[in-house]
Amino acid sequence: MVTVEVCVGSHCALVGGLNILESLEDLKEDYPGQIELKKVECLDVCDDIKRSPVVKVDDEVITAAKSEVVMSKVMERIET
Amino acid sequence: MTLKGLYTDISHIRRMVFEEVARIALEDKGYEEFDKIPYNIIDTEEPTYRSSIFKERAIVAARTRLAVGMDYKESQEHKLISESIKTFLEENNPFYKPLVRVIKFACEKCPTKAHFVTNNCRKCLAHPCSIVCPVDAITIGETQAIIDQDKCINCGRCRKVCPYNAIVDYERPCAAACGVDAIESDEYGRAIINQDKCVSCGQCIISCPFGAIADKSMIYQLLTDLKKGDKINAIIAPSFVGQFGPLASPGRIIAALEKLGIEKVREVSFGADYASLEEAELFHEEVPDKKEYLGTSCCPSWTYIADKHVEEAKDNISPSYSPMVVSADSIKKEDPDSKVVFIGPCVSKKLEATDPHVVDYVDYVITFEELAAIFVAADIELTKIEKEKRIEDASRYGRGYANAGGVAEAIRTNLEDKYGSEIDIEKADGLADCKKMLTKAAHGKYEGYLLEGMACPGGCVGGPGTLIKTKKAEKEVDKFSKESPYRTAENNEKLKKYEK
Repeated sequence: MVTVEVCVGSHCALVGGLNILESLEDLKEDYPGQIELKKVECLDVCDDIKRSPVVKVDDEVITAAKSEVVMSKVMERIET
Repeated sequence: MTLKGLYTDISHIRRMVFEEVARIALEDKGYEEFDKIPYNIIDTEEPTYRSSIFKERAIVAARTRLAVGMDYKESQEHKLISESIKTFLEENNPFYKPLVRVIKFACEKCPTKAHFVTNNCRKCLAHPCSIVCPVDAITIGETQAIIDQDKCINCGRCRKVCPYNAIVDYERPCAAACGVDAIESDEYGRAIINQDKCVSCGQCIISCPFGAIADKSMIYQLLTDLKKGDKINAIIAPSFVGQFGPLASPGRIIAALEKLGIEKVREVSFGADYASLEEAELFHEEVPDKKEYLGTSCCPSWTYIADKHVEEAKDNISPSYSPMVVSADSIKKEDPDSKVVFIGPCVSKKLEATDPHVVDYVDYVITFEELAAIFVAADIELTKIEKEKRIEDASRYGRGYANAGGVAEAIRTNLEDKYGSEIDIEKADGLADCKKMLTKAAHGKYEGYLLEGMACPGGCVGGPGTLIKTKKAEKEVDKFSKESPYRTAENNEKLKKYEK
């Protein structure tokens, strides 16, 4: 089971955080029971918007996250 | 095929421009700050996508001009952004047509509609493609089939018969997104918008994979007036629920607007309730005896289709004021010295607001996407707002206006409740289908019908100014509708106190 925390604060929501969340929701449907998805409030690491969006995959904090990067980190941790 | 719902580099640049413009307004910075925007956003040493960073910056500069509401034409002159913006704003002419523009040098001159043979072609012995071609346009070349583009009539027979899926039906994304054929080419092969045909729905803006199309914004005007101390109220379209993320509840969004300095906020579904009663009344009195059918009036792009493309249908579109106008009017009656900003998913509402009959009611129109950028520029963190602000202005059916089918459903319910009458309904969403439906109506196909037209696929929740997927937004709207204390418009206590 991989735990993913997606920040959905104002900064992250503006610059693609919501879209990353949507792509993970799709992925979760394809791999039931393997992904725990949490929508979290602002993690206070994006003082500069260039560090948004912020996503945590297990203990790894990803800044300036992109859907493809986050999804591949998640895929590495699940059984396909 | 659509880019909607994906966060692309185009979305990123667009939103960063909004955020920069909003910041300049909020921090009361000088005009020269506008000149820095292209450098702030394109801060690499090397170009990322285009031929040079200078071109990338020039496109951001063009977007900046549009983002303050200026006409794009001006950027062809040699003038600093700050200079032209200064002249523009001091002329006090914040908005004029056209609303949607192709940034010419950002357009990559995609080929126009054609059937192409791809390298999937195996040059097979059977070559059914050429056999089925009704204009003998296909020859078999050295390595693959070749379509003579001068002869081809785009019938698609070759594509359907090919055993290797080697033939594609290709259309430029902007033109494919346009349901009213308003995209044409200039002498250089760049896309241009035929303004006589365009209904400003904005679908081309979110469909161009090169980000060459943009609309004008009123962010700067709204925020500088707010800073100046003008009393500004907001009306927010029913599709707002969930747009700012799963933790930004409606109550938090309203509270965030007040934090920004907005006096009070009203749901546009309040006006939807009013309009649904009025249109039910109109339908009952006039259809089919005086009017053969009735078209709904809330989607401006849909009404522009009647104006520009199916003129025979014009008189059958309900003349009632749109939910936006009614909601704005209700606020201005209570608060005559205030200004009103409409916040919604919609591009064409920006145009509706410039209509001589509407201009006194609505002072600014901004999209959810633009508002999200404003929240960031104003350092308002939605997920940390503690005190939510309750909003209860509309019935379940009024709130349902945001979803395709919701408008007709509200009017149908009103007619059933009041007169016990059952009516025939036909609905269309997406411009092309709207136009088809209206054309059929003009040919007598829908006698006695209520016709609901929504220019955006899925209804307002599919609007170009939204931030979340259409399906997700639809569910959020449904959920929020059920939370309303009033079942129908007739039960809306707040509406009883209002007279247009």
